[in-house]
Amino acid sequence: MEYVIIGNGVAGIHAAEAIRRQDPAGPITLVGDETFLPYCRPMISMVLEGAVPMERLPIRGADYYEKLGITPVLGRRVTSIDVDARRVHLPGHPAGIPFDRLLIASGADPRPIKADGLDLEGIFYMRTEAQVRAMLETLPSVKNALVLGGGLVGFKAAYGLVRRGVRVTQLIRSDYPLSMQVDRTAGEMILAELVRKGLDVRVGVAATGFFGRGRVEGARLSDGSELGCDMVVIGKGVLPALSFVPRDRIDIDLGILVDAHMETCVPGIYAAGDAAEFFDIARKTRWVNAIWPEAVIQGRTAGMNMAGRPVALQGSLSRNVIRIFDMDIMTGGWVDPPDSEGFQVVRRIDRRSGAYRKLVLDGDRLVGAVMVNHIEQGGLLIALIQRQAPLRMSGEKLISTGFNYRQLLN
Amino acid sequence: MKQVVVHPERCVGCMQCMIACATAHSKTQTLFTAVQEDPLPKPRVHVGAGLYGEGFPNRCRHCDPAPCMLACLPGAISRDPDTRTVVIDPDTCINCASCAMACPFGVIRYHEDASAPAGKTVAVKCDNCLDRQRRGQVPACVEACKSGALTFESTGDAQRRKTCEVAKTVSRDAGFEQLAPGFSMLNTVKRTQIEMAHR
Repeated sequence: MEYVIIGNGVAGIHAAEAIRRQDPAGPITLVGDETFLPYCRPMISMVLEGAVPMERLPIRGADYYEKLGITPVLGRRVTSIDVDARRVHLPGHPAGIPFDRLLIASGADPRPIKADGLDLEGIFYMRTEAQVRAMLETLPSVKNALVLGGGLVGFKAAYGLVRRGVRVTQLIRSDYPLSMQVDRTAGEMILAELVRKGLDVRVGVAATGFFGRGRVEGARLSDGSELGCDMVVIGKGVLPALSFVPRDRIDIDLGILVDAHMETCVPGIYAAGDAAEFFDIARKTRWVNAIWPEAVIQGRTAGMNMAGRPVALQGSLSRNVIRIFDMDIMTGGWVDPPDSEGFQVVRRIDRRSGAYRKLVLDGDRLVGAVMVNHIEQGGLLIALIQRQAPLRMSGEKLISTGFNYRQLLN
Repeated sequence: MKQVVVHPERCVGCMQCMIACATAHSKTQTLFTAVQEDPLPKPRVHVGAGLYGEGFPNRCRHCDPAPCMLACLPGAISRDPDTRTVVIDPDTCINCASCAMACPFGVIRYHEDASAPAGKTVAVKCDNCLDRQRRGQVPACVEACKSGALTFESTGDAQRRKTCEVAKTVSRDAGFEQLAPGFSMLNTVKRTQIEMAHR
């Protein structure tokens, strides 16, 4: 059995390892755009912040590919897939690379923005270690930074730069940051903490263009004003990297549609991680959950299935844990469903200790949770959402500070 | 291979395992001096109260595969090959709390610890008292438990014993036999008290 894996991110390497455990001999070719060793992508923002040194990023050793008997093809992107001939095409391989089982774990690329002057120096996306490396090289000469976007990437870039002592202005579309991850109350708590630590946040403004001589010196904003800055970070979310996938053959919505075995509509072709769109347990519909732990489990599952061991996943779940300054935030599932959905919402806020909790219940099942501070046992709530286990206690009991594992045994 | 086995029906919630655990993971290993240490030693077993005041010593199950190990960003969580114990390396841990989100039992805490570099907050959880085991001692929580809620034995032995206990209760002439008679009476009393208080 010949295996080809597109993507050397965490989904790709976990798939390769799962295949190797089942099939010690089958040739595995791993195509990756990034030439760096397999590394921990979520940690790049911690490198920017200065909390973790660059050399801690790799999660596998230099002899990784050799030890696992993987043929790495790095620094190149796949250009097309021939579904009938079962080959992937890419520069440098005129005949293509044949496969019996293919995994598309190509991940996602930053969502591009439309603005003038994007070719100036000092304008960055923040997705790869190479981009963070370049940001760090520029950092000593940066006094004022502009961050576009209030999602996870924009937020982490802004936080990292504030921690580095840079004056940061962040432009966000909604009233509060992380609007895809948290609800308004938690979002406003986060915003207040960031503003208190010196971040300048502007709501409802976008950047229309950048100017400077070679290097960026400022930005023009949609309200007509100008803003001086010597660094710009664009964090407007990510889109699955799927330009090479034949849409007439493989079903795609936002990501590649997969079943519980991570298989696409074409037998033998699988997808996992940020590129895949899978059933979301909380939302009860298909959804792209582009997060690290999903990529890990989806990659492993895809690998096991590719090697002939049928393993099914129940679904994916959006979840995140973020620590900023002295504040901890954990979220999972559907945290802000529209009122029309008829879910029960339980909240508890303690302004003095800065603790906040919100639970979203669908009948006797938990579908969403937001926690600000006291997150140590948050995994219990996340597990309850993942398992969709019927609760034998009220939402009020579940949200109380005394809640612990023992109560689930009652 | 011996493991710590929890028998929830026998826990009275005395929390002596917590004190013993914190002491066993302190610098000085003696309660008298441990309480004066900085950072103050903290337990890795967490006795929680049920809805009716029943106790339960919640500790790491050393799952296999372990969700925390798969979720750990810097690769600080690994498995000790000899004892199958899941351990966190405090030097590699970056305190990102990804393991808190992954642990379905809520047994990981974040604080400074005698085992970590001074001043560094790290993820801390049960390590099966590997240091004590190497010295031929049983885990501290088991040594402290007076009610038999925590035992150190092979899971095979524990299962066999439990199977026999359950079998006794279902044989035709046995009548109804409590698995842990004194404890279930205690829990019934606690439950009744709480229900009466609510009325």
